[in-house]
Amino acid sequence: MLELTILLPLFAGIISMFLPVKPGRIILVVTAALHLQLISLAWFGKVPPILPDYFSVTPEGMLVLLVTSFIFFFISLYAVSYMRVTKLSSEPLYIGCTLLFLASMTMVALADHLVVLWIAIEATTLMSAPLIFLHHSKSALEATWKYVMICSVGIALALLGCFFVVLSMDVGNLHVPITFSSLGLVATQLEPVWLKAGFIFLVIGYGTKMGLAPMHTWLPDAHSEAPSPASALLSGALLNCAFLGVYRSHKLLFQAGIGDFSSGILIGFGLLSMLIAAIFIFNQTGYKRMLAYSSIENMGIIAFGIGIGGLATYGAMLHLIHHSLIKSSLFLSSGNILLGYGSKLINKTGNMVNLLPKTFIAFFAGCVGISGFPPFGIFVSELLIIMGAFQQGRNICVSIFIFALILIFAGASRLVLKMSFSPGSEAEILVEENLARTLPSFALLLASIALCVWLPETVYQAILSAIVTIGGGVNG
Amino acid sequence: MIQLSDALFSLTLLSVLFSLGSNRIMGLVKIMAFQGVVVSLIPFFLEHHEVFNSGALIFLAVMLLIKGLLIPGLMYVAVKKVKIQREIEPIVGYHASLFAGLIFILASAFIADKLYLSLPGDKVLLMITAITTLSAGLFLIMSRHKAITQVIGYLMMENGIYLVGTALAHETHAQFVVEFGVLLDLLVGVMVMGIIIYNINSSYDDVDTTLLGQLRD
Repeated sequence: MLELTILLPLFAGIISMFLPVKPGRIILVVTAALHLQLISLAWFGKVPPILPDYFSVTPEGMLVLLVTSFIFFFISLYAVSYMRVTKLSSEPLYIGCTLLFLASMTMVALADHLVVLWIAIEATTLMSAPLIFLHHSKSALEATWKYVMICSVGIALALLGCFFVVLSMDVGNLHVPITFSSLGLVATQLEPVWLKAGFIFLVIGYGTKMGLAPMHTWLPDAHSEAPSPASALLSGALLNCAFLGVYRSHKLLFQAGIGDFSSGILIGFGLLSMLIAAIFIFNQTGYKRMLAYSSIENMGIIAFGIGIGGLATYGAMLHLIHHSLIKSSLFLSSGNILLGYGSKLINKTGNMVNLLPKTFIAFFAGCVGISGFPPFGIFVSELLIIMGAFQQGRNICVSIFIFALILIFAGASRLVLKMSFSPGSEAEILVEENLARTLPSFALLLASIALCVWLPETVYQAILSAIVTIGGGVNG
Repeated sequence: MIQLSDALFSLTLLSVLFSLGSNRIMGLVKIMAFQGVVVSLIPFFLEHHEVFNSGALIFLAVMLLIKGLLIPGLMYVAVKKVKIQREIEPIVGYHASLFAGLIFILASAFIADKLYLSLPGDKVLLMITAITTLSAGLFLIMSRHKAITQVIGYLMMENGIYLVGTALAHETHAQFVVEFGVLLDLLVGVMVMGIIIYNINSSYDDVDTTLLGQLRD
């Protein structure tokens, strides 16, 4: 019963909204653990769907789902400790909404039906908006408004995209269920013009949610205004889910034999996102905004890798996993920094190495990892993407790619060094760090290192079978 | 019947132009209610539409109720409660907006012509109306400061999407997808509720996105 993975957090979320805080926290952690266990069972195909017309187990979906469930577990451990020391308008609302958010993201990852996927992505917007507004400040309101408005426009355009894809089926006089799996089987008979139009609207619509430039404008605000566990969830899990929407449409175009068209679009969006992130990261004043721009960059890298094809696709999938792990760890550390210094501004922080030593290790290691240094996995994935791009002879694209990476490293490292070592900061530490709030970030980082050294065979096979349709593989 | 559907299309276009040129929020809400009714009536008067089964009839009735009554009613409450009757200071002026609206009509006619769709008679006009409504809605979202006006723009865009669907769908599958556009009304409802609740909870005197200008790069 695959749908249980959706229903479990759904009901737990609804119940915990009406419970007092303490049992709510227990429900959060227990549900996260149960969800992780269910997903691990489903990973091995032990849990067939009851409604195969709407939901199915796909390798790319399970990959995203496993990552989501894994980081959700650690984020919920962190959140319990974080909620104790921070003032939120309503903690039951937080617990309820994260669980509902988890339910909607699970639905995205399992959805096979075009419309179900669309509804699920719309649901993620609705469920995560209250999380961003939890602090009830004026800037939180602005961030939430931008988020809901921009993502709603995206969702509306994505509906038009779904409509065009279905229209391409009707024009081709086909009668199959509107699911990605059955459309993929008859993809060559779909009317290509409408399919292309559909892809453009889908990539704009879901790309808005994924944070591809130039539709990314909601992302830095939402990520910086949300409470840190929620930002970690937005960046580590939600962006991947939106990516899944783009990926599935890309796959459909590949099956229809017009993959070159969608690859070109993805490469364009990917490079644009990286360049825009590189420009804006330079003069950031807030560290959470800096991390948010880095998320835009990384989504750009993933889109680029998928667009290039071949070895780069494998790199992009690895990148997706490692970005989620490292970035959610970074956002969790940034929560400790925010608690410690009481400000989101980089200027108000400093001398972290002495004031918050454990957080410093996690944050600095995370920044090293996200910039693409070994021993973290992003080193491998970026290397594979670059090698893949050279194999395909995309020399100009890959030069822009490397240029943007250097710019971002230069911009971000300046800020991180300032935060970590700049002396003379008379800041007082408001809330001391503790193990409960640093261990989850360490665990996520260690997971990235572990996966870099030893990638389980089953994950490796899942990545390969996810990318084989779009011409990806480890042999170029 | 042909004349009647043509009249409905031109009424939609007029409501689009009116909303681009209007500066009274209450007037905008009323015109959106009118547009909602007209848009949901259009499928009844199309030339080639097959006979409605009871499911489709119920759907259209619900559509009429939501677009014509429920959402405008909610917005009416929001405008009353939040007291946003003031004129709005748009990013693009009213005359320029009207002019842009006319350009949208021309561009839509051009696009509908270029698509080489073999659409039956009145559906070409419907396509023009649809694309105009869609792009004018997007334009309103981008060119206005007030939160409620942005919601109105969104509603207009949604009407446009519904009309595109009505114009192109000639098979059940595609129609099925368009009908899920009703869920977009849910988003509109949430946004309007947000405006209402947010204003009850705190005492800011208006909902103006220029006041929401602290987050920028």
